[in-house]
Amino acid sequence: MVAELTTERRWKTFADVVAFALGTNVWISIVILPAIFVGALHGGSHIAAAALPFLALLLGLVRRSEAVLLGLFPAAILVPVALQPQMASSYVYGPVRFALVAIGVVAYLFGVSFFTTWHEPPAPRSIRGLSSAQVGPAERWQRRERVYWMLAAMSLIIPTVLIAWVNFDSAIDDYLGEMYPGRVALMTTALTAGAIVLWLGIYHYAFLGVLRPHRTGDRDLVGALSHARSDAKTGKPRPRFYGSVVLALAAMAILILLRHWKA
Amino acid sequence: MRRYFFEVLAVALIGGSLFFFKETLDYLARRDYIAALLVMVIGVAVISVGKEMARLALVQRD
Repeated sequence: MVAELTTERRWKTFADVVAFALGTNVWISIVILPAIFVGALHGGSHIAAAALPFLALLLGLVRRSEAVLLGLFPAAILVPVALQPQMASSYVYGPVRFALVAIGVVAYLFGVSFFTTWHEPPAPRSIRGLSSAQVGPAERWQRRERVYWMLAAMSLIIPTVLIAWVNFDSAIDDYLGEMYPGRVALMTTALTAGAIVLWLGIYHYAFLGVLRPHRTGDRDLVGALSHARSDAKTGKPRPRFYGSVVLALAAMAILILLRHWKA
Repeated sequence: MRRYFFEVLAVALIGGSLFFFKETLDYLARRDYIAALLVMVIGVAVISVGKEMARLALVQRD
């Protein structure tokens, strides 16, 4: 019992050290170095904004909260960048530096999400070989694992490509220079934020949407599914059907009225 | 019979909603943002109605 507690405590300390090292790396590479490069560390408010992510990181470590480490800290990183948009411009990030920072962010997210939830199981009292274990995993499990790996790979590729495309495509840069002269850095940062929001939307609806039904034993999900089944047996459209029809008709009416009003 | 009716209706509505999204792009290209938003809302609403039809078709199949 004491040995198990010691192992648990050691794992938690290890997870804290990993999160602190990788989080500090992300904070320095995204906030501190670009701020020094563009000379944005002047004035109390800018210094406070630059320190905010580090405080969020420390808070997450003290509370050992995944929500703070994986949600609040990345969001706090965007605060100083939003105040000084030139910190995220392509003049600060060359392709090599961008790749290094991307690797650092992925390492942080992976490290925190993996190590903070890692629990080493206690040593078994006895071991007995199962005959089914000799056969290997069933085909459906192998298929499922392939899908998980594919989703994990796409989770890295899609946001990286989106952000790199926004920042390093010369056509986008030229277009922004033409449309928003003198505000290219601001608009590039806004587009980068848009790419992040788009990715979060895709992740929430497409990726988590696929993974959610794979969970088993989830009481909420089982309840929602049985409710949906009993609801479907009535054979009548749900209220959202009528709502959608009314919404479509209202939008069409407004469109026609706008046309007449302009004419 | 009702099942096929609902299935055809669902496919027609979901496929037809693509027209509204294409119109959205056209309005955006013409920088008519209000019209683009309205047409996009119509597209989403039509997809939603198509989804309900598909659900009813599934119920009929059971």
